[in-house]
Amino acid sequence: MIMKLVNLIILLFVPFLMMGLIKKTKSFWGGRKGPSILQPWFDFVRLMKKDFVISDTTSAVFKITPVISICSVVFAALFVPMASGSAIVNIPAGLIVFAYILGLGKFFSLISAMDTGSSFEGMGASREACFTSIVEPAFFMTIGSIMALTGNYTFDSLAKILASAGSYGILIIIFAVLVLFIMLLTEGSRVPVDDPATHLELTMIHEVMILDNSGCDLALLTWANGIKMLLISSLIAYMIVPVNVSDFVGVLLYLAVIALLSVIIGTVESGMARIRMSHVFEFVFIMSSLALVVLSLVMARVFGG
Amino acid sequence: MNSYFIGVIILLLSGFIAGSFSKKFKTIVLSILTAIGSVLCLIPASNVLLGKDSLGKAFYFNDLFGIVNFIIDPLSAFFIVVICVMSLVSVIYSNGYLKPYLESKNINSHLVFLPMLIASMLAVVTCQNALMFLICWEIMSLSSFFLVIFESNKKEVIKAGIKYLVFMHVSVLFIIMAFALLSIKAGSFDFMAFKDVLVNNKALANVVFLLAFVGFGTKAGFVPFHNWLPDAHPAAPSHVSAIMSGVMIKTGFYGILRGIQLIGIPSKTISFVVLTVAGISALYGILYAITQHDLKRFLAYSSIENVGVIGMGIGVGMLGMAYHNPAVALIGFAGGILHILNHSIFKELMFLTAGSVYLKSHTRDIEIMGGLIKSMPKTGLLFLIGSIAICGLPPFNGFISEFLIYFGMFKGLTIDNFEAVIVMLFAISALAFVGTMAILCFSKAFSIVFLGLPRSEKIAQVKEDCEKIMLIPMGFLATLIVLIGIFPHRVLLKINKIVFSIIPSTSMNVWSGCSEIFMTILSVALVVSCFMAFLIVMIALKLKLTKGKIELHQTWGCGYDRANNHMQYTASSYASPLLSMLKPLFKKVFDIEKPKKLFPRSAHFSLQIEDIEEAYVINPILKMDEWFLSKFESLQSGNIQSYIKYGLIFLLIVIIGSLFIG
Repeated sequence: MIMKLVNLIILLFVPFLMMGLIKKTKSFWGGRKGPSILQPWFDFVRLMKKDFVISDTTSAVFKITPVISICSVVFAALFVPMASGSAIVNIPAGLIVFAYILGLGKFFSLISAMDTGSSFEGMGASREACFTSIVEPAFFMTIGSIMALTGNYTFDSLAKILASAGSYGILIIIFAVLVLFIMLLTEGSRVPVDDPATHLELTMIHEVMILDNSGCDLALLTWANGIKMLLISSLIAYMIVPVNVSDFVGVLLYLAVIALLSVIIGTVESGMARIRMSHVFEFVFIMSSLALVVLSLVMARVFGG
Repeated sequence: MNSYFIGVIILLLSGFIAGSFSKKFKTIVLSILTAIGSVLCLIPASNVLLGKDSLGKAFYFNDLFGIVNFIIDPLSAFFIVVICVMSLVSVIYSNGYLKPYLESKNINSHLVFLPMLIASMLAVVTCQNALMFLICWEIMSLSSFFLVIFESNKKEVIKAGIKYLVFMHVSVLFIIMAFALLSIKAGSFDFMAFKDVLVNNKALANVVFLLAFVGFGTKAGFVPFHNWLPDAHPAAPSHVSAIMSGVMIKTGFYGILRGIQLIGIPSKTISFVVLTVAGISALYGILYAITQHDLKRFLAYSSIENVGVIGMGIGVGMLGMAYHNPAVALIGFAGGILHILNHSIFKELMFLTAGSVYLKSHTRDIEIMGGLIKSMPKTGLLFLIGSIAICGLPPFNGFISEFLIYFGMFKGLTIDNFEAVIVMLFAISALAFVGTMAILCFSKAFSIVFLGLPRSEKIAQVKEDCEKIMLIPMGFLATLIVLIGIFPHRVLLKINKIVFSIIPSTSMNVWSGCSEIFMTILSVALVVSCFMAFLIVMIALKLKLTKGKIELHQTWGCGYDRANNHMQYTASSYASPLLSMLKPLFKKVFDIEKPKKLFPRSAHFSLQIEDIEEAYVINPILKMDEWFLSKFESLQSGNIQSYIKYGLIFLLIVIIGSLFIG
């Protein structure tokens, strides 16, 4: 029960820390001091208090989307193993419920972007939808392969790779982590897929979809995006963190992995520029190739004798 | 005489009775008679599903072609429920939809064929005699053909109708071949006699199943036999497209499921064939759905996608049977059959809402729509519910069936066989791709049609929502969507009964997987209901808290404040990143008029995507056919004497031929 509470606290607050840490890392590489790690949290509180302006073109869809986004990520989080080990709702094929509840949030964020009648937001929506369609199959194939390996089709199978494949499993983990990391960059709209700090609407993907959101709507959407990044990071952490440690050490290791991932994301963002829009597909498609590598590694292990 | 027989007879006659009334009452009388007929047919079917009767006997003829039995087993009962409820909803909706046509058109023939289609479908799913089955099947195809060509003064409607007719008759040829092979071996036309032959002869079973799969698959709309769908659905009036897409194409699945029931354990080969064809159909359907700008054509392609998803469920079930894994078989079939029900509900809802939009705006081109949610809020909400359900997103019914199909595939990963695991993994990612594509597709459709600003004068003039008589049937469908999403276990209990009648219980312990899927589905249902409740509370809370804090302003145009409705993103531009990514799969036809001179007067750009199969397979075949037949044009002289000569030559050939053979 305490662990579930810890989970909840992590779910609600760590996204802000993650975003703060990414910003801090970028500032470090840029030679600046940078804002405090808690700055995203202060921004959130400030935005929540504000009144907001919405477009007169919009309908009710636009008003309810931020709530649906945040609810969908929070409910999707129930199915993901976090600091406490197994997921809160640990059912077979929980992966699907997880992905489809997130899908509902995505559906609404797409139509809410189109609701404003702005050509920029339409552009962002169409790009976002397109990238998701490349990400999901590779994600499903990777997790599916791992499930075939461990013979367990809950998310627990992620922690059992080493137990069922021995040291060979390390190879599988490396590729699976790479798949999830690209997914993290794409879904979290980070460089090199998307640049959250850019100032030109034409080159944005996620940011341009929420151009017209302000006040608490904007706060909720940013929070939801942060939680989504945390969820994907949690999957990575669950593969890496050893299972047979005490709860306390487990939570610490989990947080360490999340922090490490944030630092890596920040470093990637400082080290490279955003890819040209027409080449982003090629980058995201790397995920599919890596997923096929995971698939063949698993097949070689299970049926290769 | 029992109620089923009376129900079918009432349906057959209702069109004639309704036609004799005055204009005002025609459709109302038809709805009442259809309602009576449907309820009479539903009684024996629900008795079977609720377990009061194990087998319902509908009616017999003793001497027509041997014994002709009409029997209601759980499989038939399920289809009867789908047919009766969904058709009735459409017929009630037609009260509003046909109103504008009453003055300008004689709709009597339409009123005759509409209930005849329903009656023939009811006969098809109960008939146990191959010959009688073919007759009913033919009545079904023909009556739906006449319904499709309702607006027969339009050239493209006739063209679509003829195409449909040709496809149906090519498909029935395959079914006839399958039945002919079987009846020669069995010496009887009865399905039960077929079963004895099929169970003992596996090679024959494979051939017959593949033949029947082509035949029934054409009706269902599997790629590569899908071409009639995207033409016939837009041509037909909306309530007819709803019946055709929601119900009639499901009779193809009835045929396939009945076939599986008859052959017992299917071989691995045909299971893989079914799963592969279904997977390709799903991908093909959804990719083309994204590219369509005609609202109903787009829904037709989405039907192909959903047919593919259903087929994937059935394919997983067949693989489970072929590899003797009862849990996989159970979940796969349950998912597939539940998706049949779900698809018939939400696709019907989508077609009816599309019909309402068409009735009010007189166009089906989504490129000129927009902002309709302000003038037609109720229709918009129903379309949104349908879109979410059809994408398979929680908390609605589509999610439950897609979840089951996925679950079957994940279970399939435990089969200890290389091919099976690989196929399951690829099927999982194919279904994931289809799922995300569906989100792209329906977010596009909903937002282009209903959100933003109107893209043309025509749409801006739409001022009111459609009538109550049209909204009520649609509301009923939306309620079903929500209810099945919250209480899937109730429906699943009934579905399992059907699955048990398909899987031969003697060779497999089907009960072993039951408890697990029930626990899983129960927990999913619980989470989904909590999710829905939570959503509603949070939305209400948000709307309440932010009341009065909102200021309205125009959309941010990046500093430009004269943005207008023509600057919005269109359907083509929404789909364009995807099209450029998957370039080889589409044949683009551009229609461009570039701006010329210093002060350009007019310019336009439009993009049509042609069906690649039609462009590169069907049209060349037709061309070859035309070329070949044109060689014989000289025979057709119009001269009666030469026709008599041909007749004589033919007779001579027959006589000489029979002499040699005899």
